[in-house]
Amino acid sequence: MVSTERIAWLARRAGWGLAPGELDALRDAPTDDVISHFLAGRGPAPDPWADMELAVETDQPLPVFAAAIQRWLDHFASTTEPAADRMTWLWHDHFAVSARVVRSPLAVVEHMRLLRTHALGNFRDLLRAVTTDAAMLVFLDGAQSTGDAPNENYGRELLELYSVGFDAYTEADVRAASIALTGWTINRRQRAVRFVPRRHDDTPQTLLGRPGVRDVDTVVDAVVSNPACAPFITGKIAASLLGPGVDPAVTAPLSTAFAADLEIRPLLDGLMRLGLDGVGGEVVDDPVTWLVAAARALDTGATPVGVIRMLEAMGQVPAAPPNVGGFPPPSAYLSASTTAARVSVAGQLAQRAREGNPAHDAARAGDLGALAMALGRPDGFGPTTAAALAAVDEATPASTAVARLTLALVAPELVIA
Amino acid sequence: MNTEPSSDPGVEPSRRLSRRAVLGMGGATGAAALGGVGWLIGSSSPGDEPVAASLATPMPTSAPPAPTPTPSVTGGRVLVIVQCGGGNDGLNTLVPADGRYHDARPAIGLADGDLVAMSGVDDFGLHPGLEPLTGLWDRGWLAPVAGIGMADQSRSHFIALESWWSGDPGTPFRGGWIGRWMDATLADDPDPLRAVALGGGSPLLAAMTSRSVAVNDPANFSLDVPVGVDQDRFAAAYRALADPLSNEPVIASAQAAIPSTLEAIDVLAGASAASGDDVRPASALLTTAASLIADEPRTSVVVINIGGFDTHAGQLAQQAPLLGDLGSGIAGFFDAVEASGDAERTLLITTSEFGRRVAENGSAGTDHGQASVGFVCGPGVSGGGVVGAYDFGNLVDGDLPVVVDTRSVYAAALDWLGGPTDEVLGGSWDRLGLLA
Repeated sequence: MVSTERIAWLARRAGWGLAPGELDALRDAPTDDVISHFLAGRGPAPDPWADMELAVETDQPLPVFAAAIQRWLDHFASTTEPAADRMTWLWHDHFAVSARVVRSPLAVVEHMRLLRTHALGNFRDLLRAVTTDAAMLVFLDGAQSTGDAPNENYGRELLELYSVGFDAYTEADVRAASIALTGWTINRRQRAVRFVPRRHDDTPQTLLGRPGVRDVDTVVDAVVSNPACAPFITGKIAASLLGPGVDPAVTAPLSTAFAADLEIRPLLDGLMRLGLDGVGGEVVDDPVTWLVAAARALDTGATPVGVIRMLEAMGQVPAAPPNVGGFPPPSAYLSASTTAARVSVAGQLAQRAREGNPAHDAARAGDLGALAMALGRPDGFGPTTAAALAAVDEATPASTAVARLTLALVAPELVIA
Repeated sequence: MNTEPSSDPGVEPSRRLSRRAVLGMGGATGAAALGGVGWLIGSSSPGDEPVAASLATPMPTSAPPAPTPTPSVTGGRVLVIVQCGGGNDGLNTLVPADGRYHDARPAIGLADGDLVAMSGVDDFGLHPGLEPLTGLWDRGWLAPVAGIGMADQSRSHFIALESWWSGDPGTPFRGGWIGRWMDATLADDPDPLRAVALGGGSPLLAAMTSRSVAVNDPANFSLDVPVGVDQDRFAAAYRALADPLSNEPVIASAQAAIPSTLEAIDVLAGASAASGDDVRPASALLTTAASLIADEPRTSVVVINIGGFDTHAGQLAQQAPLLGDLGSGIAGFFDAVEASGDAERTLLITTSEFGRRVAENGSAGTDHGQASVGFVCGPGVSGGGVVGAYDFGNLVDGDLPVVVDTRSVYAAALDWLGGPTDEVLGGSWDRLGLLA
């Protein structure tokens, strides 16, 4: 049996927090059932953009992208397959394709769909798909890379950021991967991916010690079979779920199993169980995770209109990571600007909470235990936060409730996941 | 040129921290969201900073004359560090009069006739976007440093950034070079306003005990409370969340951000107003920096983060607006600090994590390389000549070799701040006569 505190922890780290009633449904459930609740979803991936018209290219992309991103976050806030969606978000950080560069709403959404399809699937399949994905071919210049003039942008990041890490490759490996991947390009007008043999250098390359690498499949095979790959990916997921600084020895058995089949779901399952056993430490929630969890707990339905501006003020815009390495680590979101913007966003969310929502009602009644529970902290607020929340006294009961709920959302207990 | 340290700082190879572990110590990579929701309408810079397309709000090319400069504050020396994220192509920034340059760059080489002349120097010219810097050059306030790079310069963005931030290549990240200086000179309680990063945080400020402030967009930085809620009462309640600090370090760091933020809002509200509607990242942030320096004597270090310099494809169109913004931003900055009477106490340096390959690639761009160029600017600079060189005769794997260690510039910058320079840098680096 899993304590309510650990269920709430799992919801914060492996999902998008707790919707009203979600914790009650899991109370006293066996560990396997709790894990299964979060790992739900083996069927076709849900598609938040199914009825949305997506331009192949646009000069004024903001409304299109903002609408697509809002649908993505809406889906996260209401998901019944929390871990699959949370891992989609992790893979977005991992591959970090930016709409600022890609400029095609269709290609960016197709990229998000690809990440969701493989989120809990097989890492080789994921990496193979990303390597010839239209958005990635634009983002890291693969579409312009030819046998006569290989562009090293993707080849380098494939090794350093996506698979084996900095210590595991040489400059010669960067060149080898870049040469073997030449020939993949896109039709600018249609954003259709195609392989053009005359743009490809078919000369066999040696990549990470493996000879005979000459095309995308042999590149991906050489990369994922390298001994550095499984620990690198395991470490990435472990840092997100369990926090930084987890001893690799603790996750080594999971990494070894992952190396054998590259299946993501059992790896995540194992890491979740480590967390339920108390492995790991605190992490700062990134703005997207914090915002989605707040919208989920407050049951505000969709994430608020204007969510892109809110996220920009907090310093994290989906589909617009600051650079090829993805979003900064969560601790960066204790910066002054994120701290200030979080207050503004919390106020807007608090104003949208309605009577009948447990967090709203607890804030109005001044019931701090119930408020903490409704916001996914079954152990309650610490004494400093409790004293500050209890002292809130505004002109009307409604504004007192809004101020108290706003403060609760920006309290250290809520900023730390 | 001897840029070796006279005492071995004890560099030993060791397994590096992961990129995220490194970044976790100090914040963003210097490329956080910036400058309005124009992020999707910006340049096509691959994987880096948005660059607003509109240049509609030009900076004044010269400040109004200040007949009797009256120092508005009595602050000490100030260092401004402009980090050009992505790896700026030095060869197209400070352009050499060298046939080997033109041979390597048939598509993107800048023609001699297009370059901005630097009086007294025949063998280099500036990218046209840097024309505003000629005012500094003519006054001897500008020293370009050619062939600059870190020992064992990496072509990886993240490894290179790590070593440029730490000033301690090859060792696990244990704080930024400015963070170490702040710790070494910390007198009282940490004052977060001592170092301010604009345009995102920077691990070069990561410290053991000192604190700093990081703001993405100072023009949109305020505490907005919900309608119907009293601003002052709310701010007091918000502050109460941080008093007393928890014994648990992560909780305490989240708490400590609250009073720092409230104080930074007070200080930056006025400073950021100076940039008006300027949407050019470097110009807007440098205008804010100048105003901050004039108004806030506690601030000794300002870090400006701009990006977009990772020009793998279509470099000419991509780099020109970036350098144009940088050039007018630096010129406007010195106009402003001169007008406020603060120029004499201000030094500015530019950094970028690596240079780019000598030869252009097949996409009219350049791939990651090694040595590049940096600028050292201010009245305290011994300017008017190019320091260092581009060593075409000894290319390393197609890259310019490093002939000036970055730590020589860091040493001059730390000397400017009053040191202790060699202690912070773990060795004595040749200052190259950069300071007058």
